Parts: sequence; C-alpha cells; structure tokens
Amino acid sequence: MAFMIAAYMVIWLAVFAFVFMMMRRERQLESDIAVLQETAREDMGH
Amino acid sequence: MTRSHTGLWILTAITAVAMLTATWLALVGAPPAAGLTVNETYAQRIIYFHVPSAWISMVAFMVTMVGSIGYLITSKRKWDNLAVSSAELGITFTLAAMASGAIWAKPAWNVWWTWDPRLTTYTVMFLLYVGYFMLRSAMDDPARRARFAAVFGIFAFLSVPITFMSIRWWRTIHPVLMDANNFGLSAGMRPAFFFGIIAFTLLYVTLLAHRVRLERMQEDVDELKERAAYA
Repeated sequence: MAFMIAAYMVIWLAVFAFVFMMMRRERQLESDIAVLQETAREDMGH
Repeated sequence: MTRSHTGLWILTAITAVAMLTATWLALVGAPPAAGLTVNETYAQRIIYFHVPSAWISMVAFMVTMVGSIGYLITSKRKWDNLAVSSAELGITFTLAAMASGAIWAKPAWNVWWTWDPRLTTYTVMFLLYVGYFMLRSAMDDPARRARFAAVFGIFAFLSVPITFMSIRWWRTIHPVLMDANNFGLSAGMRPAFFFGIIAFTLLYVTLLAHRVRLERMQEDVDELKERAAYA
C-alpha cells in the first residue's frame, strides 16, 4: 500500500509544484506591473 | 472579469472535480487485479495515474512541436508561447510518470530502475526537453530564442514516437497495455483507466490555458518595461 500512496503523492506533488510555480510568477508579474504603474504616474507628475 | 477569464475558471472547477473523481475511481472504484500478491495488487493501481501522466507528457511535447512549426511559419510570439508552455507541462508530467513508474517497478520488478528500452528512450526524451530549456535560457533576444527553440522543438519531438513504439519494436519487460488485438485490463478496470485519461487531458488543457495566459502577461510586461526604458 505504501508504494501506491507514494506514487499518487509524487504525481500530485508534481502538479502542485507546477501550480505553485505559476502562482509565484503571477505574483512577480503583479509586482512588476505595480512598479511600472508607479513609474508612469511619477513621469506624468513631472 | 472578462468572459474568457470566467471560462477559464469554470474549466478549472470542472477539472478539479474530474481529477477528484479519477482519484476515487483509481483507488476505490476499480476492482483489485486478480492473481497478484497484496503488494502488487495495491501497486497495480498506480497505472491509473501513471499511464495518463506518460500519455499527457507525449501529447504536451506534440503540442510543443505544433507551436514550433506555427512559429517558424508565422513568426508570431503566440506560437512560441504555446510551445514553451506545453514543454514545461511535458517536463512536469514526464517527471510524474518517471517517479510513479519507478515506484511501481519496485514491487513488480524488484528494482526501482532498469535500462529497459522504454525507460531508456523515455529518459532520452526527458533530457532532450531539458536541453530545450537550456537552449532557451542561453539566448536573450526573444526572436532568436524562439526561432532556435522552434527548430529544436521539432527535432526533439522525434524522440516521442520512438519512445511510444519502443515497447512494440524491442524486447522489453515494460507491459504493453494495448496493441492491435489485445487490451491488458479487465472490463471492470476500464472505466477508471479511461476516466483517468480524460481527467488528465482536462488537467493538461486547463494548466496549459493558465500557463499561456501567464506567458502573454509576461510578454505585455516586458513590452511595457521596454517602452518605459525608452520614454
């Protein structure tokens, strides 16, 4: 039974690792967008 | 929220339900295999997720090849986005299939790994796509990177049919689940098996849609950064 549980765990782990990686990239992109918006606002102020 | 965004979240919810159902069918719904030891009987249930993982890895690399051809014909970034997104998923499912296969092999073959033709060709395929990402990371210019990766993506795909056919072409200890005349699962096991294939296909489509959306966002941010730098 341990083999079966281990196999299902590694497959789910791989899927969750991929999802986690995408979430991290999305957060990074959101922070990049926030910086760009801030820069654009500052440029418009000058 | 846009219509496509809503559609993507509906697809995600359907996929989650399908994957949970596939897990239940694989672990509980499918009947136990006859004529095996207790350990082997439990390990046999690994195939309900191992085979779909391996199948999706090959489908993903095929989509990478289609995206690569599309890029070389049109030079449009969306094809390169599709190719790289699918290759990433291909690598993920390849790792899942390799790990679950090794765990199945221990009770079935008494070894974690052997240089069987299927395992060897599958490893070569995996390494080729690792090479695909190494090639991409070595180039900064997006157009050049996409062009070189597209050519590599097309040639790397040659490993996929060889891997698929390896258990039919060469003498191997890896089970052949289906050929022209036989299907290696009893009638009671087939619903769990085919539902697993459908659920994993849905999972692949869903993750690919999210990944392509992310790649498009990255492209937009890069473009904005470039514009901000020149402003």
